[in-house]
Parts: sequence; C-alpha cells; structure tokens
Amino acid sequence: MDKIVPAQYQPPLPLDKLILQDGAEGAGDRMELDVLIVGAGPAGLACAIELARLAKADRTELNIGVLEKAEALGEHSLSGAVVNPRAFRELFPDLKDSDFPFRAPVAKEAVYLLTAERRWRLPTPPTMHNRGYYIASLCEVVRWLGAKAEALGVNVFTGFPAAQLLVRDAAVAGVRTAPAGLDRDGKPTPGGTAPNDLVAKVTALAEGTRGLLAQAWCQWQRVPSENPQIFALGVKELWETKQPLDRVIHTLGWPLPGDAFGGSFVYPLEPNLVALGLVVGLDYRDAALDVHVLLQRLKQHPLLRALLAGGEMVEWGAKTIPEGGFYSLPERRSGAGVVLLGDAAGFVDVPSLKGIHYAMHSGIYAARAIFQNLKNGAALSEYDRLVDASYIARDLYRTRNMRLAFRDGFYLGGIQAALMTLTGGRFPNGKYRMHADVEVARRFSPGLRPGSAETPVGVSKVDAVFKSGNSTRDTIPSHLIPAKDVPVEVARFYAHVCPAGVYEAIDGGLRINAPNCIDCKATDVLGPRWTPREGGSGPKYKRM
Amino acid sequence: MTTLAVLEQRDGVLRKISHEVVTAAQRLGGAVEAVVCAAGVVQGADQAAKFGADKIVTLTNPAFAKYAPEACAQALAERAKLGGYRCIVFAASATGKDLAPRVAAKLGVSVAADLTDLATDGAGLVVTRPVYAGKALLKMKVMSQPAVLSLRPNVFTPVERSKAGAAETVAVNVPAGRVMVREIKAAPAGTLDVAEAQVIISGGRGLREPANFKVLEELARAFGGQAAVGASRAVVDAGWRAHADQVGQTGKTVSPSLYIAVGISGAIQHLAGMRTSKVIVAINKDKDAPIFKVADYGVVGDLFEIVPKLTEEIRKLHG
Amino acid sequence: MKIAVCIKRVPDSETRVKIAADGKSLDEAGVKFVLNPYDEFALEEALRRKEKAGTGEVVVVCLGPAVAQETIRTALSWGADRGVLLQADKIPADPFETAKVIAAELKTTSWDLILFGRMAIDDYNHQVGPLVAELLGLPCVTAVSHLDIEGTKGVAEREIEGGIEVVDFPLPAVLTADKGLNEPRLPALKGIMAAKRKPLEVKPVQVGAGVLEVVALTPPPERKEGKIVGEGAGAVAELVRLLREEAKVL
Repeated sequence: MDKIVPAQYQPPLPLDKLILQDGAEGAGDRMELDVLIVGAGPAGLACAIELARLAKADRTELNIGVLEKAEALGEHSLSGAVVNPRAFRELFPDLKDSDFPFRAPVAKEAVYLLTAERRWRLPTPPTMHNRGYYIASLCEVVRWLGAKAEALGVNVFTGFPAAQLLVRDAAVAGVRTAPAGLDRDGKPTPGGTAPNDLVAKVTALAEGTRGLLAQAWCQWQRVPSENPQIFALGVKELWETKQPLDRVIHTLGWPLPGDAFGGSFVYPLEPNLVALGLVVGLDYRDAALDVHVLLQRLKQHPLLRALLAGGEMVEWGAKTIPEGGFYSLPERRSGAGVVLLGDAAGFVDVPSLKGIHYAMHSGIYAARAIFQNLKNGAALSEYDRLVDASYIARDLYRTRNMRLAFRDGFYLGGIQAALMTLTGGRFPNGKYRMHADVEVARRFSPGLRPGSAETPVGVSKVDAVFKSGNSTRDTIPSHLIPAKDVPVEVARFYAHVCPAGVYEAIDGGLRINAPNCIDCKATDVLGPRWTPREGGSGPKYKRM
Repeated sequence: MTTLAVLEQRDGVLRKISHEVVTAAQRLGGAVEAVVCAAGVVQGADQAAKFGADKIVTLTNPAFAKYAPEACAQALAERAKLGGYRCIVFAASATGKDLAPRVAAKLGVSVAADLTDLATDGAGLVVTRPVYAGKALLKMKVMSQPAVLSLRPNVFTPVERSKAGAAETVAVNVPAGRVMVREIKAAPAGTLDVAEAQVIISGGRGLREPANFKVLEELARAFGGQAAVGASRAVVDAGWRAHADQVGQTGKTVSPSLYIAVGISGAIQHLAGMRTSKVIVAINKDKDAPIFKVADYGVVGDLFEIVPKLTEEIRKLHG
Repeated sequence: MKIAVCIKRVPDSETRVKIAADGKSLDEAGVKFVLNPYDEFALEEALRRKEKAGTGEVVVVCLGPAVAQETIRTALSWGADRGVLLQADKIPADPFETAKVIAAELKTTSWDLILFGRMAIDDYNHQVGPLVAELLGLPCVTAVSHLDIEGTKGVAEREIEGGIEVVDFPLPAVLTADKGLNEPRLPALKGIMAAKRKPLEVKPVQVGAGVLEVVALTPPPERKEGKIVGEGAGAVAELVRLLREEAKVL
C-alpha cells in the first residue's frame, strides 16, 4: 500500500441508530421541557442565559434544560484561547470587562516563522490582531457562564450525554441520553441507569465540534452546504513555567511539513501559567503525521525550550476545530423543532482563530428566535436570518476562502491569503472547492516516530492521557465504530491520527483502547465513528 | 512526664504493631507505661519491655476477651484520668482507629491521627501526618494535655531499647458496653478488589500462560489478605485473567502502598496512574525493560525463581 | 426511619495538590470539590433503608462554607429529604471542634441512625463519627462494610487486619460507612430537578480553634531515583530488607 484514502475504511454515520421516533421504548425517565439545549459550552450556555433573561423580562416561566456529557461543567471544554469580549458585553450589559472570567488582556503579541533552529519574526497578519481581546481558559469561561445560567433558574444536567435525536415525523422532539453502567459487552448491569428521554418544543444542538446529532440532523433532513466541513486537530498543553511569558505568540512553519496547514499558539494565562498547542489541518498528506508527536517536537525549538525549561506540564488535551468557514456552514441552521449553534454549526473563523464569541452570539440569536417561536409561533428560521444579518456572517464571508487556499500548500496558500487580506475578501471571486478530509489521499513515508533519532520523545500519549484527567471506567464498552476489516497500514494511520493512543496497530490488525478517548473527534473525521458513552467519561479539563 | 502506650492484643496474643507504639512512645522522652486490655494474661506483652516500656499494665475484664469498644474505651479513659500522662499513643490499626477517638472524646479532645512523625521541641509536641492521599504532609502542634495520638502502621520501625517492663495486672470494673464483637470471621478469598488493595501484584505477558498466575496468587496470599493480583491489559484482553483484575489503563489513581509488576515490560507506562503508588517494584528478565525506569526497586532475572523466593520471605515476615 | 447523614465537601481525589501562599492550606484555585466518596456510601445506605421502610426522613447535615450548599443539593438530588448547612468559613483542623458543632445540631432530634463516611479523603482523620457518638452518648460502629438491621438490633461487619469483625449493636446508633457497604446510585435527572425545591436550611455557626494547630502544609519528599537491587533469587532478601526498612511498606 503506498497510499490510503481514509474514506474507504470509514463506516457511514449510523443514522438508523441516531434518529429515533419519539415514544420508542427503552427509556427510563421522561422529562418535558420548554427548551432543551444539548451541550453546556459557550454557545449552549449563552443561549440558556439569554432565554432565561427574555423570559424573566416577559414575566413568563420557561423550563430550560441544558445537557452536558462531562461530569462537571468545563471538563470537556478546550480552546487556546484569546477571546473577543463582544458577546459577553451583549449578554451582560451591566458588567464590566473586569467582571468577566478572563485571565489577562492581550498586551504584546508576536508571530514567528520557525525553522528547526531559528525563528523569523513576521508582521502580525491583519486578521490576527488581538489587541483589546483577552486571554482566557475556556473551562473557566464555561464554569462562570454555567453559574450565571443556574442563578437564572436554568437546569444544567451534567453527566448526561445526548445519544439519539427523538423525532416526530420530520420535526425534532428532543433527545434520548446514553445509558450508564453497561458492561464490556454492552449489557446493562444492576447499578447502571437506563437512557432518559428529554422532550422539548425546541432543541438547540450546541454539541461543539463535529457534533454527532448535528451531523445526523443535517444528513437526515438533507441540509446541504456548499463545501463539506473540514477540520483541524489541536493538541494543547498547560504548563507552569519557571520563566515568565509576557506576550501572545503564534508560529507558522516548522515542524509542520510544507503540505500541511497549521501553526502553534503560546498564550500566558499568567506570566508563569502558559497554554501552548499545535493545530494542524486534517487534510495533511503524510499518513504518518502525528500532531501530538509534532507538538513534542515543537517544544524542542529553542524558543520554547527556553520558556519551558524547569517547568511542569500540568494538563494536556486535544480537540478538533471546524475550519471550513463560510462555505461549510449548513444552508440552514434551523428546522422543525431544532437549531444548530456554535462549533456544531461551524461558526469558527480560522484566520483570526476565533470561535468563542461567534458561538456565544449564535446562542444569543437562537435564544431570541426561540423565544419568539414559543411566544408567537414565529418561525425558527428567524435564527438564520439574525445570524446572516450579523457580524458573524460578515466576518466569515470576508475570510471565506482563506483557509481553503492553503489546500495548495503553505507557500502558495500564504500568497493567496495575503491577496485576500489586501483585497478585503474580494479576491478570489469564486469559491475554493474542498474535499472532505476523509476523502484526501495520504501517502506512506517514514514519518515521525517518537524515539527515532530525529524526534525526541517528550510526553508519551498514555502519560498525556493521564494528564487530561481521563479516568474513564476501564470496563466500559467501546463507543467507537470501525470498519469490519482494518488493514495494519490503516491501523497505523489511525494510531497517528489519534492523540490519545486509542488506536494501536498490532499483529496485523487494529486494537482499540476505547477508555483512552478524550472526545477530540479526530477519529470521527478520519477513522472509526465516535458515539457518546456514559456520562462523565473522557477528560476532566480544569483550566484548558 | 509519662506516655501511655496502648498495646493491642487479639485472642490473648500481643500484636506486633504494639512494638511500634512503644518505640514511638520512647521518642517522646520520659517514662513509658504500656497498657493493654485483655481477659487474662497476654502472651508476648512482656516484649514491650524490650522496646522501652518501664511498666506494662494489663487491665483485665472478661469483656476484653474480644474487642469491646465501649468497655475498653472507658477503662483506658479512666486510667488516663488518673493523671500524669503527657501523651496517650495508639496504633492507627483498624482497631486503633476505632478505639482512639472514643478515648479521646471521653477526655474532651481529638486524636492527632495516623502520624508518620512526632517530636517534642521547645514549642511542645509537633506531629506530622499525610493528607490528600499522601500528596501533602501536614505538620501540627498538639496543645492538649494529655495529647492523644495514633500512629500510621509500618512507619515507626521498632527499635530495641530495653527497660524494666515491670508487670502489673489490674482488674477493672467496667460495663461490657452496648457494642459487642460477636466473632472474627475469615475474609473470603479472592474478593479483594484490585482498586482497594494495599498491595497489588500485577502480572503481564511475561507469565507466559494463564496457569502461571498461581505463582502471583501464592505471593498475594503471603501478604495475609492485604494483597490483590492484578493484570495488565494485554493479559486481560488475551483472556488469561478477568476484567475485574485489570489494573487501570487511563490513569485512575489506584494507589497501593506497594505495587509489584511481574513480567510487565513497559506496559507500566500504560498505567501512568500507578505513579501515585507509594512504592513500585519491578521483576523482569530484561534489564533494559522500560519498567525499571519507573520502579523504585528492580530485580532482574527469572520471575519463576524470584517470585517464589519473595513469597517465602514475605511469609516469614507476616508469620 | 429517621436518619441523619453527615457529609463533607472535599477536593476531588484527582486534585493536584498545590500549597497556598500561607504555607498551611491547599491552594483552591481550579480545584474541583465533590461529596466525600465515603459519605456517598453513608448516603446511599440511608436512602435504601428509608426506601425499604417506606416512611421516614433522610436529613443531610454538613459543616462547611456557603458554597457547600451545592454539595447538599447533590445529596438532595439523590433523594435526601432536606438539608442543613452549618455554615462556617473555615473547617477547623481539630476534628473535635467539628464534632461538637455537629453533635449540637443533632442533639435536638431523636434519630434511628446517624451515618458518616468512614473518613474524609482530604484530612484522613476518621474520627468525627465516633467523636459525635461519644458526645451524644450513642453506640457507635466504625468502618462498616456490611449492615443488617432487624427492628432495633443491628449487625455490622467491619474489615480488620486478616479478617472481618462481626459486631452486634442496638439502635439508635452512629455508624461510619466504608467501601463495600453498597453501590452508590447514579444521579437521576428527575432527582436533580427535584433537589432544587427541597428545603435547605443555612445556620451560621461558631467553631472553636481546638487543640490542634497547623504549623505547615508541605509537599511530600521527592520520589528518589529507582535502583536495580540485584539479579535473580539471590537479590530477594535485600529487596525485602529495603522494602521494610527504607520504603517502609512491609
């Protein structure tokens, strides 16, 4: 085998298992809500907060429930992050910036192009200016938003993953949660809990990147998008450093190969508490590319080695990021009984590396549309109209081709991106077509193996998974759906794709260490399909 | 200033942990009076003299044939109230953890419990105890008179410092109490949960075949009920051992005092959570096996020779 | 059955311990707090017995700061009927002071059972249960891993070195719960919603300083580099010696 196309080995979305007629048996408890929000991330919580406030102002009572698969708020949230505060200001007009859960304003910043030994300072691209923005931990942001939501009477249910969409004909009626306490073979045990059905007049899907139910709904209702969604994988570490850092840093170039898109970020939450990570587009061409291993390599660069010397890695994690931008948005993000928010819809701007404020604002607009829908029967498509008329659509349109240009490689892409910036988005006139990541052919080459003479080891994947706080039950049934026969080369490819060491190539086949999974969704993009498992499984991020 | 060292007996025989109590009591300076509640003569109580007891007092009452928490607590508290004791020291054994607080409450104070160090300095009595599952040490001043202390087992290694050990027997008249030990029954074999065990002996592919795990089971039995046999993921997946025996893969903090990895080459790296084990021992025939980097103590060689020898030595200790 | 369950809000067992600037306490930044795991066994036992009896009340009592209300709500979401927060900003280092406050609260009601967890996973004191029992003059059995109750007679089993102690005791009594007593339930959605409406009384209390004074909280000694003790069965004697005398695990 000299190349593989991952699509040949990826099972289709198990739609028949994801869409369930409301009333189907198998549920324990059934709960009725006015509005159900799936996912307690920034989008879901902003939606809940705005809805609760609208109801309060209107002196009506809305029964709002937010489902979150992590055991506690924030434990599955991961981002850089540098946050644009505008959505916070909209949601909390009475608060000052200093009241918000941010760590520090961005003071200085620098962009570097790296080679193995050196760095070249680049002028900060206009799309990446961060002055006026704040460095934050998304975990802390989510916990803060969660407290605000609960104070407003929103019910936040942590430890309850939504596993299936409940539907009535073509309308979404709610969700069914995943059962808990299944044994290794998937059978219920006495101490476990049955799935629960939560039905609501409107369901907001705010599952984050590569949301399962969002995918299922789009496919089921055949909602098209101009381009398929494409993704990057970010692997991130949080370090307590001996040396202080006083600026936000972004790097391009080494150690990424020329035909991979991405870069790194280094953000000081405090002078001696540094978040750093490497983000790589999943349309890379080398089957042996391993983002986690590249990050370990990156830390050997003189720039970072000096910063991290004597320090300690306190957390590790990973997550994918939807990168397709404007053309990958579903044609509509609303339907009968349902709206799609945040990363699940694809509201991320790659050139500025921003998504949190778009997520929150999408939640705010959705809340307004939902409120009118409940009050007057106004159509939920009002949500689409609000988003399309807003800065969200404007921003994404302006950079609509920037990421896509890089499919032609770093240098060519760089030139095109520069042209796009100079022309304010008018260049090019048309749209770049993108293939879904899973359809991109990968070639086999020696690649980067940890421990080889070229690559220092850094943190091993299993030690990294430990630092993500992952303490998933070892006897949990596997939640991943691979193809029936996976050749060893493809198993090796999966092993490189997954930052958490879930996949291993052994004895001519694929071994799956499912409890390692930290829900980054890279597998769902390129390999075996991801499904939710019992609540509380996965990572327990604290300040990621 | 006298320290009252509370000894422990079971079925009329002194438990070895009592030697630690006397040793620690010695450290406080002053006289040491050892005391034990029993129905009659306690075999081995005189050993307390070897470790520093000036006096060995046996408080007798028929109720003390078995552990009688209320009777024992009352007898000890009354003895303590006779006065003159600077400290009262217990072992933080299963019984000690039950008894010490009862006595302390009767004296109107709490126990400085589960100590790993104690010292008297100019400032008074200063003690150290592990907290947060051993992730930190807490140093405290104990200001009560008397101070009631309990000692973490296996820390205060008995030191011989012979004293007179004048024996005295006092019959005490205390009610038997409302809480009665009916019997001590044997722990059912093999039910020790790997996650709970103080000692875990884990086997990997180096065991060569499932039947060979009995070598590890023998070693576990030598620890007298405190040890469980765990298995690496490879071995569980191969069907050699039950899923329940699998030692964590995703870093759940399983923290036995002693983790012995037998025939596991580097799969220990899959057990990053084992890093919080107090002590890791590795036995492997490959001296370059990555396991040795993680272990505190390693023995290179044939496990089928090493493990039985270790079993023999452990049996001698626990006998 | 009228059962009181005394609970504590503690740092999660996976907490990475960092010492606060005062050198005497835990730096709580980013620390996740949970219901003490041993208290879960106590709470589960209380709920099962009340559910089995068909009538009764399970009351949760907690000494802690204002934010401990969240912990009480968790217990309420499992099915406890009401909660009492004895509010104090700092939990004393001296467990007898804690016991006094809790005993004062429990004194005014006649309980069938008062349950505690065997110990808290932060301070490892394992005392408050028996101290409270003494203050209330009630019989007490600690570290209970199996429990049978018939009327006002109880039989408990507790793990001791090398065996299991079977203990008879009368009700009312104070028991501290150990692992193995039961399998704590998973929270149910309905329970979480119902918890919001259950009564939670907050009572500010004064806690004494007690006789134990914290001098310092320090990290444990550095883990030393490992060493190969020797080769073959001949090295075993030395290994055992080191484990006994140096590592102190035997």
